Amino acid sequence: MTRYKWRGIALHAVLVLALLVFMFPFVWTIIMASNTTADIYRFPPKFTFGGHFGDNVRQVLDNVAFFQSMANTATVAISTTLLVLFFDSLAAFTFAKFRFPGRNALFVILLATMLLPAQLSAVPQFQTMALLGWVGSLKALIIPGAANAFGIFWMRQYFQNSIHDELVEAATLDGCGFFGTYWHVALPSARPALAFLGIFTFVGSWNDYMWPLIVLTNPNHLTLQVALSTLNRSHGVDYSMVMTGALMAMVPLVIVFGIFARQFIKGATEGAVRG
Amino acid sequence: MELSRRTLLGGFAAVAGGTLVGCSSGMDTGSTAKKNTTTELTMWCWPGGLGKSVIDDTIAHFPDPKIKYSEIGGDFKQKLVTTFNGGTGIPDITGIKGEDIASLLPQASRFVDLKSVGADSVLGDYLEWKVNQATTLDGKVIGLPIDVGPTGLFYREDIFAAAGLPSDPAKVADQLKTWDDYFAAGVQLKAKNPKALLVWDATDLYDMVVGQGTERYISKDNKFIGDQDHIRKAWDTSVKAMTMKIDGKTPSGSPDWNAGLDQGTIPTHIGAAWVALDIKSAVKTSAGKWRLAPTPSGPANFGGSFLAITKNAADPQKAFDVIKYMLSADNEAKAFADAQIFPSAPAAYDKPELKAADKFFGGQVPIDVFGPAAKAIPVAYQSPYDDSVAAPFHDELKTVQTGSKTSDAAWASAVSKAKAIAKRQGVQ
Amino acid sequence: MTGTATVPAATTAPLTGKGQRPGRRIWSYWRFYLALSPFYVLFAVFGLYPMLSTIVLAFQRWDGLSARRFTGLGNFEFLVQDPTFWTALENTIVLFFMSTVPTLVIALLLAVMLQSAVRFTNVYRIAYFIPNVTSLVAMAIFFSSIFSTNFGLVNAALRSLGIPQQDWLGQPWGIKIAISTMIVWQWVGYNTLIYLAGLQAIPKEQYEAAKVDGAGPVRTLFSITLPQLRPVILFTVVISTIGGLQTFTEPQVMVGNSGGTGQSGMTVVLLFYRTAFLDNDYGYAAAIALSIFLLVLLFTAINWRIFRGRSDDR
Repeated sequence: MTRYKWRGIALHAVLVLALLVFMFPFVWTIIMASNTTADIYRFPPKFTFGGHFGDNVRQVLDNVAFFQSMANTATVAISTTLLVLFFDSLAAFTFAKFRFPGRNALFVILLATMLLPAQLSAVPQFQTMALLGWVGSLKALIIPGAANAFGIFWMRQYFQNSIHDELVEAATLDGCGFFGTYWHVALPSARPALAFLGIFTFVGSWNDYMWPLIVLTNPNHLTLQVALSTLNRSHGVDYSMVMTGALMAMVPLVIVFGIFARQFIKGATEGAVRG
Repeated sequence: MELSRRTLLGGFAAVAGGTLVGCSSGMDTGSTAKKNTTTELTMWCWPGGLGKSVIDDTIAHFPDPKIKYSEIGGDFKQKLVTTFNGGTGIPDITGIKGEDIASLLPQASRFVDLKSVGADSVLGDYLEWKVNQATTLDGKVIGLPIDVGPTGLFYREDIFAAAGLPSDPAKVADQLKTWDDYFAAGVQLKAKNPKALLVWDATDLYDMVVGQGTERYISKDNKFIGDQDHIRKAWDTSVKAMTMKIDGKTPSGSPDWNAGLDQGTIPTHIGAAWVALDIKSAVKTSAGKWRLAPTPSGPANFGGSFLAITKNAADPQKAFDVIKYMLSADNEAKAFADAQIFPSAPAAYDKPELKAADKFFGGQVPIDVFGPAAKAIPVAYQSPYDDSVAAPFHDELKTVQTGSKTSDAAWASAVSKAKAIAKRQGVQ
Repeated sequence: MTGTATVPAATTAPLTGKGQRPGRRIWSYWRFYLALSPFYVLFAVFGLYPMLSTIVLAFQRWDGLSARRFTGLGNFEFLVQDPTFWTALENTIVLFFMSTVPTLVIALLLAVMLQSAVRFTNVYRIAYFIPNVTSLVAMAIFFSSIFSTNFGLVNAALRSLGIPQQDWLGQPWGIKIAISTMIVWQWVGYNTLIYLAGLQAIPKEQYEAAKVDGAGPVRTLFSITLPQLRPVILFTVVISTIGGLQTFTEPQVMVGNSGGTGQSGMTVVLLFYRTAFLDNDYGYAAAIALSIFLLVLLFTAINWRIFRGRSDDR
C-alpha cells in the first residue's frame, strides 16, 4: 500500500511541476504588467505584483487602437469559427454516413490538401483579394478560412465512431430529409467534437499573424496580433506597457477556452485519431 | 488515419491534374491609376512621423476637402506597396521613410512629379542633399523632405567626469575629434569604470562610419563597390571597437539599450537628432546628465523622411498646397517642438523653438550641434538596391562580434553574399 | 482513383437516404455535393489557384509594381546559389528537431503519467493545454523578455547561481534555444491530449496480461504502449512537421525580419515573407515557396516510411 502511495505522490509531484512550468509565463506576464518598466529592469528581479496595472493599461490604449483591434479580431475569429463548424460538420457528416459517386476520390483530395502550406501562396492570394476588392477588409481573413480539411477529417472521424447508422435511418424514416437529419441528429450528438474544432479554429484564427500583416492595409482594420507587434516594434519601447498589451491580448482566449474547456477535453479524447 | 502512401500520392495527382485552369497573372499592375474621390484628402504617415500640432493645424487650415489623416504602424513601406498592388484605398498623400526612398525611386511613375505642381519655387528652401535623395536620375522629384537625421554624440556628463575624461561639451568636441580619439577615451573609461562600455554596439557604429563617406555600396553607374576601401575602412573601424573590448553589444532601441542608458552601462550613443526622443523616453534618473557633441570624424545622416503625392490623388495641386504648408519652416519648427522632428529647411534653425535650451541636456542648445552637422552631411549616391546589398555586411559583422568568425573570414563571406545579391538586382 | 482509398466505415454500410438503385443518376445526389461544395470551392479559389499561380510566378521576375518578366529557371539558379536560403533551410530543420523531439517526448511522458493518475486529471489537462490557446505574438514578446540579456529572468537565474550571463538573443545558438523553448512550451499540452486519447483506446486487457507476465512500467511502455500508439504518434509527427517547417511568428517577433545574429533565426518562411513583402522580389519568393512545399512533402514521406513502413509491408 505505502509503495503505491509514494508512487502516487511522486506522480503528482511531477504533474504539478509541469503544471507550474506551463502556468509560469502567465504569472510572470501579470507581474511585469503590474509593475513599472524600471522594476522590470531591476536585478534581482521583482517577484511581486505591483500597482501600476491601471497606468499601463492606459498607456496601451493611448498607443494602439486596442478595442478596435480586439473587436476586429473577435469579428474575424467568431465568424470564421461559426462558418467552419457549419461547413466542416456538414461535409464530414456527408462523408461519414452516405455513399455517392466520387466519394473516395473527393476524400483523398481533401486529405492531400492538408499538406499544402497555405501561407506560401500568400502572393497570389493577395492578388486574388485585390481582384475581389477585399484588400484591407476583414472579409479577406474570414472567407478563405471558412472551411478546412483538418476539420472535415476530424469531424468525419467523430461521426463514424459515435453516430450509429440506425439513428440516421430512424431519422430518415421519421421524415427528416438529409439536412434535417444533419441538423436534428448529427449536430446535437457531436457537441464535444464541435467544441474541440471550435476552440481549435478560434485560436488559430485569433493568432493568425502573417496573413493579416500582409492583407490588412486599412489602419482601422488591424487585428490584435498586428497591433501588438506594432506596440512591440516602436522605438524606445516601454516594456511594462508591452507586457500589459500582451496580457490583454491573451485574456479573451483563456476565457473562451475556460468556458468550453470540459467539452473540449471530452472532444479531444473521444474523437481522437484511432489507427 | 487509414491512409497509405499510395492513396496520398493519388490524391496529389488528382489535385494537380484535376484542374487545368489557366493561371494568367490576373491583375493590372496599376500604371493606369484610378483617381481617388474629391470629397476627402487622405494622408498616411507612421506614428510620430509628423508633429501632432502641425497635423491638427493643417487639418483646420484646409477644411475643403477634409483631410483624413491615418497613422500606419508596422512596416510602412510594405503596407504602402501592398496597398498600391491592392489598387484600393491608396492615399492621396503618403509619407516615405528615408530608408525606403531609394528603393521607391524606380516606382516614380506611381507618384506625382512635384516639379509639375510648382515645387521649383520651394525646393531651394530645403537642404540640397536631402532633396537629391528624392530626385530620380532623370530629374523628377517625388517627395518633399519632412526632416533630416544629422548625427551627434550623446554622452553622460557625470560618467565622463568620474572617469577623468573631459565632460564639458566644448572640451569633448575638442578631444574626441576622430574615431581613434573616441576609442581611446573608451579604453580610459573602462579602466576606471569596468562596467561602462563606451560603444553601445559596434555593428550600429559601422553604419555611422559608412554614412560619413561620399560613396556607399553601389556607384551611380550601377557598379558594385561594396568591396572597396571605403567600406572596408568602416568595417575595420567597427572591428577595432570590438577588439579593444569597449563594445557593449547592445543594439539601439532594444530593451537592454533602454536599461543601459539609465544605469550608466551605456554612457554614449551616436545617433540622429531624433534619437534624443528615444533616449528621453528610455531614461528616468539620468535626465539632465546627458550632453551633446559633434560626431567623431564628421556627421552622417540617419533617416529623415518625405511626403509624396500619389498618382491617385484627386487633386494633385491641392495636395501639394497641403504638403507645402505642412513643411514650411514655421511648421517644421513646431514639429521639432512637438516631437524632436529635426527640420529639413535650414530657415527653421533660427526659429525660437530650435534656439531653446534643453534641460535634459543640462541647458545645452541641441541645434548648436545638429545645425552645423545638417549642413555638413556628405552627399552620397544611394542606389535602390543599397539596403539589400548592405544586409550581408551587417549579418557578417555580427558574427565577428559574437566571436564565431574572424574579421577577414566574415568580410570575405559578406562580400561574396553581397555580390550575389547585387548580381540578382542587375548591378554589375 | 476509386478503391485505393480505404474507408474504414465500410464495416457499417453507409446509408444512401432511400434504397440504392444501380441506375441512379448523378444529379440525384445533389444534396451531398452541395454539402461538400463549400470546402472545394473555397479551396479552388483560395488554395489551388494561388498554388498554381505560385508555380507560374516562380519562373517570372516581378517587383510587385512594374510588369512581370519571364526568366526561365533564373529564380531557381539564384536559389541554389543564395547562401541565405541555405542558412534558412538549415535553421528551419535544426529548429524543427530542437523543438519537435522534446515536445513529443515530454508530451508522451506526461500522457503516460496522466493516464495512471486518478485524481485531478481534468485540471491537469486543461492547464497543460492553455499555452496552446494564448496569443502567439504576446508569448513571443514574453519569451524574448525572459531571454533578454540584462534583465531577463533566465540570466537572473544564471547570475544567482554564479554562472556568467549569456547574450541569448544575440548569439546564434541562443536564438535557437529561445525559439524552440517557446515552441516546446506551446505544443506539449496539445500533443499530450492527443496521446492521452490514443492511450485510452488501448485495451486494458493488454496491460493486465503484461502485469501477469511480470513486466515493469518501462517494459510495458516499450512493448505495449509505443507500438499501439504508432498511428497516433505518426499523426502528431506529421502535424508537427507541417507546423514546424513553417515557423514564422516566433522568430519574426523575437529577432525581427533580419533573422537576428548570423541570421540564425531566419527560417524559410520568414525568408519567403521578407523576400516577397519587404524586398518585393515576388518571383524569387515563389521559388522559395515551392522549395518549402517540397520540403514538407519530403519530410512527410520520410515520416510515413518510418512510422508506417512496417505495417504497410504486412
